[in-house]
Amino acid sequence: MINFEHVSKRYTGGVAALQDVSFELAAGEMAFLTGHSGAGKSTLLRLILMLERATRGQVIVNGRNLGKLPSRQAPSVRRGIGMIFQDHKLLSDKTVFDNVSLPLMIAGVRYPDIRRRVRAALDKVGLLSKEKSWPLTLSGGEQQRVGIARAIVGMPPILLADEPTGNLDPELSRELFNLFRQLNGQGVTVLVASHDLSLIRSMGQRVLVLANGRLADDIAAAEIRGGGS
Amino acid sequence: MSTGGLRRKARAWGRRQLYSFFSSLGTLLSHRLGTLLTVLVLGVAMVLPLGLYVTVKNLRALDLQQQDWGTISVYMQPEVGAEQVRSLADRIERERGASSTAVSPEQGMEQFRQASGFGEALSLFEESPLPWVLEVTPARPPGDDLESEVSRLSEWLGQQEGVDLVQADFKWLQRLAGLLALGDAVVTVLGVLFSLAVVVVVANTIRLDVASRAEEIQVLQFVGAGNGFIRQPFLYSGFWYGLLGALLALLVLGACLFYLSLPLARLLDAYGNTFTISGLDGREVLLTLLSGAALGLLGAWLAVQRYVRHFRLD
Repeated sequence: MINFEHVSKRYTGGVAALQDVSFELAAGEMAFLTGHSGAGKSTLLRLILMLERATRGQVIVNGRNLGKLPSRQAPSVRRGIGMIFQDHKLLSDKTVFDNVSLPLMIAGVRYPDIRRRVRAALDKVGLLSKEKSWPLTLSGGEQQRVGIARAIVGMPPILLADEPTGNLDPELSRELFNLFRQLNGQGVTVLVASHDLSLIRSMGQRVLVLANGRLADDIAAAEIRGGGS
Repeated sequence: MSTGGLRRKARAWGRRQLYSFFSSLGTLLSHRLGTLLTVLVLGVAMVLPLGLYVTVKNLRALDLQQQDWGTISVYMQPEVGAEQVRSLADRIERERGASSTAVSPEQGMEQFRQASGFGEALSLFEESPLPWVLEVTPARPPGDDLESEVSRLSEWLGQQEGVDLVQADFKWLQRLAGLLALGDAVVTVLGVLFSLAVVVVVANTIRLDVASRAEEIQVLQFVGAGNGFIRQPFLYSGFWYGLLGALLALLVLGACLFYLSLPLARLLDAYGNTFTISGLDGREVLLTLLSGAALGLLGAWLAVQRYVRHFRLD
């Protein structure tokens, strides 16, 4: 589903953010992406979202070789990916319902279907009662769940999360990761960038470790479970 | 692609338009004061050329009512009688190809009495003190150079026996025509300049709007919105600004005309004229609204084109 083949990314100015990174995430697989800050996690996610282009190598997402796609195809690539951000990126002047419905509006879905699907997504993250609330009146954990509802409402085959637990306490972080695992159980390919090593270890999933722009380790789920806590 | 797929795409496109349409309206309504100020500026910018246009249009209508385009009044000497006037009229017809109407002293007196209102006072005259007058209408020369034809004819008339004074109303009419042409040109120049102002004002407003919604644009891009979808609400905003500005300009113009119509009617009445001031007709109103909307759209397009293209995700 996500396939990196010898991918390098060098920013103008000469900084090598990624060097010769190769891995494959199969459809329905779940993995964590970890490494200290500046290791290249964000760059890797940005390449998948086609916010950047690889300097060398190939990035294949959902069967499409991003290096060969023109920039105007980027939105359609992004519509196949649900993205979750550390700072939620909710629009504060829109209600929870309107925030979650954005991807469907963009796709031009019929309004009755939008209603149904938004409520289903909110139900899935346990926030159905908050559909008329404003994002700023919600707690950090709730806002993050609204972000997740927005990411899954379009039923994309891929879910990406960039430090989703950055501002949450351990209890909420664990709940969130369980939610990802649950979504993964429904067939969604999930890639979560996080530096919360202990939590990652306890999840028993595959872990990709980046260090200085290189893929330093690729630990299979079985290994984590076998050698874990 | 199958027709079903195409139809589905078209429907999705329509829904997106509808969404942008309402979202732009919502934005305008949620920033009422800002919207109002922008529309006010646009309205004032548009009312100036419109007002001048209406003025020139009315002057032209006034001018069309003037029947004696290029007529020459020939005042005879006091001792000249009907016989001599008739023979002069014949010669004018024969030698110069121009038609003429003779006004006897009595007729002249009667016209003057009606027009001036000095009825009582004038009846003190036993005999009309006015001379015979010939109103000569020159033939239209082939080159349509009325001016030189009139001056040639005036000169010839002045040399005829018994003629006291030749007066051509022509000069000031010519000047009026010149002024009207100038007015047209000024309308055009003002129109272009103020259209430019409208475009710039809308472009700047939209540019600020885009900048203040940078966060929203970024989120939209993240969740897969194309440039078209992001651009659309701003284009609609520009459209609304232009349309509302034009509407305001029309309302202000209407109010001005209403305010001016009464004193003007009184003034014209005093001149025995029954001219009524005319505003814009339906076609012109429609054209004004459409141009306003089009200019707003253009301004928004320029702003968004510049901005969204250079918009970079951080």
